[in-house]
Amino acid sequence: MLANVFVKTIRDRWMAMFIGAISIGLLLLAGMAAYRSIDLSIYQDMPAAFTALMNIPRTADLGALAYGAIYASYGALTLAALAIPMGSGAIAGEERDGTMGLLLANPVGRTSVLLQKVGALVIVTAFGTGVLWALGVLSPVALGAQVGDVHVGALMLHMFVNALFYGSLALAISTWTGNRGLGSGVAAGIMVVSFFAAGLFPLVSGWENVAKGFPWYYYSSNQPQVSGIDWGHLAVLFGCIVVFVVVAVAGVGRRDLRSQSVGVTILDRLRANPRTAKLVERLAGSTRVSGIWLKTASEHQGLLIITGYVMFLLMGIVMGPLYKLISGPMKQFGASLPPTLLAIFGGGNLSTPEGFYQVETFGMMAPLAVMVATVTIGAQALAGEEEHRTMGLLLSAPVSRARVVLEKTVTMTLYGLAVGAFIFAGVWLGSVIGRLGMSAANIGATALLATLLGLLLGAVALALGAVTGRVRVAVYGAVGIALVGHVLNAFLPLNESTKGFTKWTPFAYYLNSDPLMNGMDWWHGFVLLALTVLLVGLAVVWFQRRDLRQRG
Amino acid sequence: MTDQIAIHTDGLTKHYGDLQALVDLDLDVLAGEVFGYLGPNGAGKTTTIRLLMDELRPTGGSASILGMDVRQQAVKLRKSIGYVPGDLAMYPNLTGRDTLTYFANLRGGVDWSYVDELAERLDADLTKKVGDLSSGNRQKVGIIQAFMNRPTVLMMDEPSSGLDPLIQREFQQMMREVVANGGSIFLSSHTLSEVQRVADRVGIIRHGHLIALESVATLRAKGLRRVELEFAEPASASEFENVPGVRDLVVRNHHIAMSYEGSMGTLLGIATRNHTIVDIATQEADLEEIFLTYYHDEETL
Repeated sequence: MLANVFVKTIRDRWMAMFIGAISIGLLLLAGMAAYRSIDLSIYQDMPAAFTALMNIPRTADLGALAYGAIYASYGALTLAALAIPMGSGAIAGEERDGTMGLLLANPVGRTSVLLQKVGALVIVTAFGTGVLWALGVLSPVALGAQVGDVHVGALMLHMFVNALFYGSLALAISTWTGNRGLGSGVAAGIMVVSFFAAGLFPLVSGWENVAKGFPWYYYSSNQPQVSGIDWGHLAVLFGCIVVFVVVAVAGVGRRDLRSQSVGVTILDRLRANPRTAKLVERLAGSTRVSGIWLKTASEHQGLLIITGYVMFLLMGIVMGPLYKLISGPMKQFGASLPPTLLAIFGGGNLSTPEGFYQVETFGMMAPLAVMVATVTIGAQALAGEEEHRTMGLLLSAPVSRARVVLEKTVTMTLYGLAVGAFIFAGVWLGSVIGRLGMSAANIGATALLATLLGLLLGAVALALGAVTGRVRVAVYGAVGIALVGHVLNAFLPLNESTKGFTKWTPFAYYLNSDPLMNGMDWWHGFVLLALTVLLVGLAVVWFQRRDLRQRG
Repeated sequence: MTDQIAIHTDGLTKHYGDLQALVDLDLDVLAGEVFGYLGPNGAGKTTTIRLLMDELRPTGGSASILGMDVRQQAVKLRKSIGYVPGDLAMYPNLTGRDTLTYFANLRGGVDWSYVDELAERLDADLTKKVGDLSSGNRQKVGIIQAFMNRPTVLMMDEPSSGLDPLIQREFQQMMREVVANGGSIFLSSHTLSEVQRVADRVGIIRHGHLIALESVATLRAKGLRRVELEFAEPASASEFENVPGVRDLVVRNHHIAMSYEGSMGTLLGIATRNHTIVDIATQEADLEEIFLTYYHDEETL
């Protein structure tokens, strides 16, 4: 089973890919079932701009719509997001874990290790693509649905190469620098930015060609599920992959290997600089180690910078003027949309700026941004300390297990609120700059509900960490609940017989009251808060009852 | 050493499914005593310490430190405890000083001049990030962390791993000072020589069972050693095989090797009766030999 680096890497990574692919496959099945009950003729009347943004082909039939809206966007993002940590962890991950030296003590060269890791990246990504492909072919058969002339295979090939692009980009950066976080962060950032850029720039008259500067364009612009394989675009992506691998090979050979790498924070850099050292010492001093919650907060500052930046600038401020540019077709089209379809995109009315923000910023990105912060902190809070073997030492101080849970919860809450504040500030400024006239109070209410939803999912991660002491279980559990909750909340209301079950998903208490239009729904806020408090309480109880884990 | 009990366990037991990690441990460690806890890897030493530190919850029995139940009064108790876990891990992104500040803030009552003194004695660099330190230097930070609030009881699991001999000596001196001031030390180790140097009593654990509880003086009196003698003339096995205390005798021409328990004067007297000794090499028997020699019956547990 552990014949070489290649086999071991596959063994370590296939499960995450399998779970991701199965989740997206089930999403397709649910989506297909829902779309089947909708009159698809409305898509014929949609403006080109909108259908392009939503990945819906002009000649929309059930197949093209389901594969386009679910596989081509969610599926491609998921596959790429799973390839990124494989790429960034290939060499830099082994360095961080302190295992690279041991690995290289065997008669195997750096380049060989790297190439075996690349091989594993290709195989595991192909495996994920294969699972998606199988589910993509089986779903219409299972439902007895006619999907029309859809090029599932072409879409899969594009998704596969696209995922390899981001995986190898992360590989190149991480391997060149030895910094795993940097590779993951930059690759994920480029992925998110280029996803939106490739979707939105073609909508802005005169800016259509700018989209070509973003890699996502070469994956999605020709809609492979409709048009088949675009060999030219694939060649562009493949050429980049080759360059990235070459950079990685050069990178791993050129530098000293790190032994158990230690990250350098902004604070460290400022401390190291003689011009800022005094000021930083005065301002920060030893504050960051003055207590458990402050120390936890200082460890995750990078999260806040990234999520805050994305939500404030890209998803907040930029969206306002953008809506102004494309509001014409949006308004025209908004009135023709049936309410059943709107539910899929978060229930917003696209003829209004509130509806546009709901679809673009609040529907998926806002809870995702809060979740990134809260689930990371929640999962690391207890399970992270245990896996890093520091929990025993921490608890040798006169602090109770309950206090550790509660102090870490304080940090998670503050981060959730901070991301919520960035979302509020970005959207409000976007509205002011775009002169959209949105209600500040309603923006605040929606941002608060997004924060509360993110805190609830963070509390799920915290509680799972408290029960199991395993970071992976905590993260996968919280993300799984978020994904299932989001899907159920979108699809359950489409059918009268299942509509009543919507209230059992946490997402129902986020946007279903349409807070951007109607303001704060205090009952919904209370439900989210109460569930969060309950989960934190359970985490305290569960964590007190069990043995600490000894190994990671 | 006084008769006051610092650590007390009563039938302390820990099972992991079918695995009996610790079985019915009854133990008293006295105030002013260094208690050495010996055993091979996987014997149950770390399990015992983790139970005493309330990291693990016992399957049966109970334990108290300074008269306080380790479970019910854990938080209050830890104000008086210093702890060096086995396989010490700390926060790699913090410097040594930040690490100590963090734990000092959580514990309270830390005198920083004492921290500086400890750092100087152990030659510890507190300005570097813990993740950038060698394992020995990281261990020093862990030791300072345990000593810095002048605890009444120190729980240490293989604390000297990675320390060089000079620093080990200083560390042993630090331990002696703690017990001289009435403190107690529970020192887990698999190195007999270290325990012999500082401990007053030792407990030997194997397969989760405490198989022996001895004072170091008694253990020393047993004095099992490896002895090798080089003679000017050939020797025969018959000269030594019936000498009381001789085991595992190997004779090769001018050279004999054995395990020997007893007075060296007696052995040398017999050796010089018919021979001229050219060279002598003797060393303390290792723990495994002591186990095999004295605790052979218990080994089958």
